[in-house]
Amino acid sequence: MALASRSARLALARLGRLGLGSCGAPRRGAYEWGVRSTRKPEPPPPDRVYEIPGLEPITYAGKMHFMPGLARPVFPPWDPDWTPPKFRRLPPLHEHPLYKDQACYVFHQRCRLLEGVKQALWLTKTKLIEGLPEKVLSLADDPRNHIENQDECVLNVIFHARLWHSTEDIPKRETYCPVIVDSLIQLCKSQILKHPSLARRICAQNNMLSTTWNRGFREGYPYPYPHTLYLLESANLRPHRFQPDQLRAKMILFAFGNALAQARLLYGNDTKVLEQPVVVQSVGTDGRVFQFLVLQLNTTDLASDEGVKNLVWIDSDQLLYEHFWCLPVVRRKAVVEPVGPTGFQPETFRKFLALYLHGAV
Amino acid sequence: MAAARCWRLVLRGSGLSLHTAAEAAVKAPEVTGPDVAAAPVARYPPVVASLTADSKAARQRRVERWQATVHAAKSVDEKLRILTKMQFMKYVVYPQTFALNADRWYQSFTKTVFLSGLPPPPPARPDTEPAPALDVVALRDAACDCLLQEHFFLRRKKRVPLYLEHEAITSPFLDQLVASLTGLLSARNPALANAALDCKRPVHFYWLRGEEIISHGHRKGRVDALRYQINDKPHNQIRISKQLPEFVPLDYSVPVEIPVMNCKPDKLPLFKRQYENTIFIGTKTADPHCYGHTQFHLLPDKLKRERLLKQNCADQIEVVFRANAIASLFAWTGAQAMYQGFWSEADVTRPFVSQGVITDGKYFSFFCYQLNTLALTAQADQNNPRKNICWGTQSPSCGM
Repeated sequence: MALASRSARLALARLGRLGLGSCGAPRRGAYEWGVRSTRKPEPPPPDRVYEIPGLEPITYAGKMHFMPGLARPVFPPWDPDWTPPKFRRLPPLHEHPLYKDQACYVFHQRCRLLEGVKQALWLTKTKLIEGLPEKVLSLADDPRNHIENQDECVLNVIFHARLWHSTEDIPKRETYCPVIVDSLIQLCKSQILKHPSLARRICAQNNMLSTTWNRGFREGYPYPYPHTLYLLESANLRPHRFQPDQLRAKMILFAFGNALAQARLLYGNDTKVLEQPVVVQSVGTDGRVFQFLVLQLNTTDLASDEGVKNLVWIDSDQLLYEHFWCLPVVRRKAVVEPVGPTGFQPETFRKFLALYLHGAV
Repeated sequence: MAAARCWRLVLRGSGLSLHTAAEAAVKAPEVTGPDVAAAPVARYPPVVASLTADSKAARQRRVERWQATVHAAKSVDEKLRILTKMQFMKYVVYPQTFALNADRWYQSFTKTVFLSGLPPPPPARPDTEPAPALDVVALRDAACDCLLQEHFFLRRKKRVPLYLEHEAITSPFLDQLVASLTGLLSARNPALANAALDCKRPVHFYWLRGEEIISHGHRKGRVDALRYQINDKPHNQIRISKQLPEFVPLDYSVPVEIPVMNCKPDKLPLFKRQYENTIFIGTKTADPHCYGHTQFHLLPDKLKRERLLKQNCADQIEVVFRANAIASLFAWTGAQAMYQGFWSEADVTRPFVSQGVITDGKYFSFFCYQLNTLALTAQADQNNPRKNICWGTQSPSCGM
């Protein structure tokens, strides 16, 4: 029976009782009479398509509407030539046009290497040497390279970054980390008066580097040689920041990427031992602890394990200061710790300055 | 009867004079003696108005007592704290605004005179040798390098759409330009080599100017001062430890008049809000680099030239630059002066000078500002002939 379903019966009853309301629907909030049961209504009977061999079925396809008595037509499956982006499915990976059989691993800024420095050294075929090279250390110790009142200036920079630069009482790491690195670079730049070749440098922030396919900048760029990479760990929460070991691994890999791009630019894409090694420096910090790195790329032949290796000098975990008190510590009405940094080490800034002046002195 | 009436009249009429007569009678024998020390010892405490009465004299005495605490404050931080701790409704002034003729309004708020062109060059001193010639070619090369790097050479992760071009390309370009020009020019100006460079650090200033009658509320009908606050964020600023020399003397009288607006600032439009009153130059008071050199401002996309031309406001293009310069530089120089301990009752004894460059990425305008007076309140401005001066250039002359 066509009206065997409960809802249809109820609808008829509704219409009959209320007369035809607006478009036959009951008014809002009207109670629906009837027995409540969770039994699902039975499904509609399927329209069977009969295939009798030898007979051509006469269907209502030409009439464009249902006709009882005629057979149900079977249409060929419709293939839409355009799908909206919301419903598009990606082809399986091996049918993708850019698919290659060999897997390529992508390293980006948020990759944390689990094994840290050891993994980075293996990936880039590099040998680790503790401490900075003697050339850079001699630059650090040379008193001619020092700025006058260097310690006072660095202390002012620390105060400015940690306390003075914002109206709040205790600035957060996200603001003070870039401020301290910018101020230290500005302090190093004040040496331009002594070494005019420092003016031939430019700073590029947040640029993209992908070294296996492209070079870093377009051709004709007047400053093509990467000098130093500054990596900042400025997240406010400690779990969002990289551990020192992971930061050092990231520094090695990014310096290696820059050096490789530079080598490809100079010597072409084939793998060989370079006559003139490419040197890239890197400084990584979270505003208090500095890691210094100098990477020398001797070979682009990374497939084999033997032969000439690349070298990296690392100076890790250099504290600029132990802790910074933004508010004075007062115990029993006596100032125990005044406002300022504790455990200040001027040696760290000397190494920073040496890395900056390296190549220009 | 008549005698009693006269006696009462005499008493009522000369109530005060009896007191003063008594005091004079008390003081007289001490003053007339030739060998007495200079200050006579008063036998009675001084006669002053009440502190708590509901009268104008009492209010004046309370105001003077508050001003005395500011004068007596030992450190600048304490002074600023006393001046800014009471919060009332104040007008929030935005340096970068779309309001029509905003520069004339801002001139009246800050008592500034606008002179077009740059200030007169300082007189050449005969004892110093002439400065070396400026290497314009190197500077132009550096500027072109910065421009090309941001617009062309640098590869970015995604292609930057037009509406993001301003913050993604023009902003780093201005950063690079300021840094490289500072480096190149520090050979000629050693103060620049030791300067501090700030990127997007806030600058705040709070001041009082003029009076109004309160229109509604429980204080209706009473006279209240108008308060203003500027919260600015210059794109870059250079701060130095020694003040820039003045352009013109402190009491230089400019024949140009300051525009006087005849209606309330609400017509600009300017809106009132009550929140923290801050005075900040970019660092706190303890920083040795407490004097300003130059500020760099980047106009937002909302105020760009093409948009103003589409709205038929071609004459407002210059107004936007001027209003931004006057408001930002007044706030910066005013905050620098307050960091040195000056305020509206203790006016500046030396002029505070700063410079500003305002750009929208393509067109640059240059401004110089000299703050000659901080006394803008109704009480302090009664006999104040000094005016602040702002010099500025037109923008289309220096398109990049």
